[in-house]
Amino acid sequence: MATNKRVPVTVLTGFLGSGKTTLLNRILSEQHGKRIAVIENEFGEVGVDHQLVIGAEEELFETNNGCICCTVRGDLLRILGQLMKRRDRFDYVIIETTGMADPGPVAQTFFLDDDLKEQFMLDAIVTLVDAKHFEQHLAEMKEPAEQVAFADVVLLNKSDLVSAADLERIERRIRAMNGTARIFRTRNSDIAIDAVLDVGAFDLERALSVDGAFLQPQYPFEWAGVYQLAAGSYVLRTGAETHAHHHAPHHDHDHDHDHDHDHAHAHGAGLGVVLLPAAAASDDALAALIEPAVRAFAEDALAVACEGALAIGATLQRIDVTHSGSHFRLQVEQPGAYALFCEHAPVEFNLRLEGATPAVERAFASHHHDEEISSIGISDARPLDPKKVNDWISYLLQSRGQDIFRMKGVLNLRGEDRRYVFHGVHMMFDGALERPWAGAARQNSLVFIGRKLDRLELEAGFHSCLA
Amino acid sequence: MAAMLEPRGSVALDDYLLDIAWSPDGASLGVIGGEGKVALVSHEASALRAETLGEHMLGALAIAWSPVGSSFVTSGQDGAIEIWNGTDGSRVRTLRPAKSATTQLAYSPDGKRLASAAGRVVSIWRDDGELEHAFEPHASSVAALAWNKPGRDLGAALNGGIAVHRIEPPRWATRFYKWPAAAQTVAFSPNGKMVAAGMQDGAVHFWYLASAKDSQMRGYPGRVNLTAWSGNSRYLATGSGNDIVCWDFGGKGPEGSKPIQLTGHTDRVESLAFQPGGAHLVSGGRDWRLSLWQPGRHTRALDAHLMGAAVSTVRWSPNGRFVAVGEATGRLSVFELQ
Repeated sequence: MATNKRVPVTVLTGFLGSGKTTLLNRILSEQHGKRIAVIENEFGEVGVDHQLVIGAEEELFETNNGCICCTVRGDLLRILGQLMKRRDRFDYVIIETTGMADPGPVAQTFFLDDDLKEQFMLDAIVTLVDAKHFEQHLAEMKEPAEQVAFADVVLLNKSDLVSAADLERIERRIRAMNGTARIFRTRNSDIAIDAVLDVGAFDLERALSVDGAFLQPQYPFEWAGVYQLAAGSYVLRTGAETHAHHHAPHHDHDHDHDHDHDHAHAHGAGLGVVLLPAAAASDDALAALIEPAVRAFAEDALAVACEGALAIGATLQRIDVTHSGSHFRLQVEQPGAYALFCEHAPVEFNLRLEGATPAVERAFASHHHDEEISSIGISDARPLDPKKVNDWISYLLQSRGQDIFRMKGVLNLRGEDRRYVFHGVHMMFDGALERPWAGAARQNSLVFIGRKLDRLELEAGFHSCLA
Repeated sequence: MAAMLEPRGSVALDDYLLDIAWSPDGASLGVIGGEGKVALVSHEASALRAETLGEHMLGALAIAWSPVGSSFVTSGQDGAIEIWNGTDGSRVRTLRPAKSATTQLAYSPDGKRLASAAGRVVSIWRDDGELEHAFEPHASSVAALAWNKPGRDLGAALNGGIAVHRIEPPRWATRFYKWPAAAQTVAFSPNGKMVAAGMQDGAVHFWYLASAKDSQMRGYPGRVNLTAWSGNSRYLATGSGNDIVCWDFGGKGPEGSKPIQLTGHTDRVESLAFQPGGAHLVSGGRDWRLSLWQPGRHTRALDAHLMGAAVSTVRWSPNGRFVAVGEATGRLSVFELQ
């Protein structure tokens, strides 16, 4: 059978209640002209009267010494094998996994079994996240993070059930774990079909899209703003825009207490800020302060309690934001421009300098969240030695295959006119020379997603491959 | 003159032809399709005539014909086991044993018992369709079932080796022959000395039943899907990918002996069957080829036919005279061994 006739397979993961079944029913009821076979691990949930819904019982086959990297799903081997034995070919397969499923063995099944590889092609892993309960699940179990880490597409579902600030923070956490997934905020699993089907995430021939923002340099802060300030007293305030703080103490508890507890989970003790005098309230002046700010963020922090005073200068200060309506005093002696650098986006805390609005502001890519699972991107234009690349990748697969869930990349190999494109799932690896560079700027872009990844180790490995 | 397969007729069925079961007298064949069709084909005076009896929604999975009677059973993705009257084509009984679909069906050689596997559970039915016993669920789903020749033992292929159920009510004992890989097939040698299994990880594993001593043959390109013993227990034919490899159990056994490679298929071999009471082996592949072999005598096919599509199954008639061949596009053909 010709390679291009392979039937694409989408794997749908996500915790119970994240909206998988709703999404599946939406896909099946929509008029897209596709004949879709569904393999369900949570049987009997699809309500649509659909001809090809097959129940499966999750079954892991360890093909080698119990190593997770060599584990495949026996139930899928059997059922997909059975699906090949039909003349009325279906165009698409969707595998809905159980809430607790590890997507690794599902993906590996398509790498390890030659018969299956001939007939089916993994299209993408789509993970649904229940925005309301995601952080709680994340704190309690390892599966939600793994499902996010494996994903090519993340639907941040039930986005209407949380506040804008919560949603922002959750999306940042997802982004910190998985730097390349396309993230969509959805309500009731409402999403355009082409965002989840025929994505081509495992297709080496399609241009590998590594998210541009992810490959930018990373900073210890997510936001900076420059204010033009007159001499005088200012207050930096968090929480709801209410004056209830003084005369109705129980009131602000009602409003914001839960919300702030979530912050304690995500950010530990206090929000890091640095306040520096700027040459002007301009983009250039802000840019000139980035380096001093990065240095200040590397220093020990000074804790500032609620109602405490903020210092101007190259000092990292951790302001206590565990309670809503926290406020901090700022005394400005010299009128002029001042830049405030924040560890997290102010919107997460409704942080504002009362009586002033930033003349200039800028968001920064930051990945210093303390997630056990993270993404590391490497971007470098210099050509690589193919032999050295081979050695390095082999070493990585063997020594770090357990911890690297996904890797993908486009490489600029010395003496080669075409892009070398690869992807991997644990120890499974697939790579090929694809489109010529032609006039495009030659560039290496690599992304690793996994557990306890060491940026320095990966960068050192990459540098060892330079031609 | 070397043996040949002579075409004797064919009939078109409107389905992917998944499997075929001959009646003991060779006058009828039960047929199941990947999309669910159940059909009865009469084979009289070389004329084939097909009648559709019913359908398993979402696809049929298994078929078996009683070795002593006129009834056959089918199972499908719909979870049902249907018992059919092979004389008039009527539905005798429908069994709904479990939530999981029944993927395996096998009659005991005396026809008094029917074994089925659904997911991890092996069940034993009496010939009237009453459940006699359900074994404790296995740790993995059952990939294949096979009886030994006397019908005392039933083998089940598991992820982790082979389970051998002793069919001896009321004890129903189970012995395990363990190996850390997923068994795809199970086959007892007709002399009762050993049980062989094709494995997911590209090996054939076999156990000497008396001593539980085991051995394995590696080096296959992929999982071993097919295993078939010759009637005299001398040869074990195995299939993996395009290759057919026969192991010679004569003399000191296959360990250390060179395998017999039967070469000719250019795409995956889908089905292998040894002639009952004879020395011939037939195979069918996705290369549209039906081939006749005589392991131990020739490594090249004695005869080969190019069918009209990928061959999905090949089955000998119980008397060893005819071969029924199923194709992916639905054609069923019968050949006679000359």
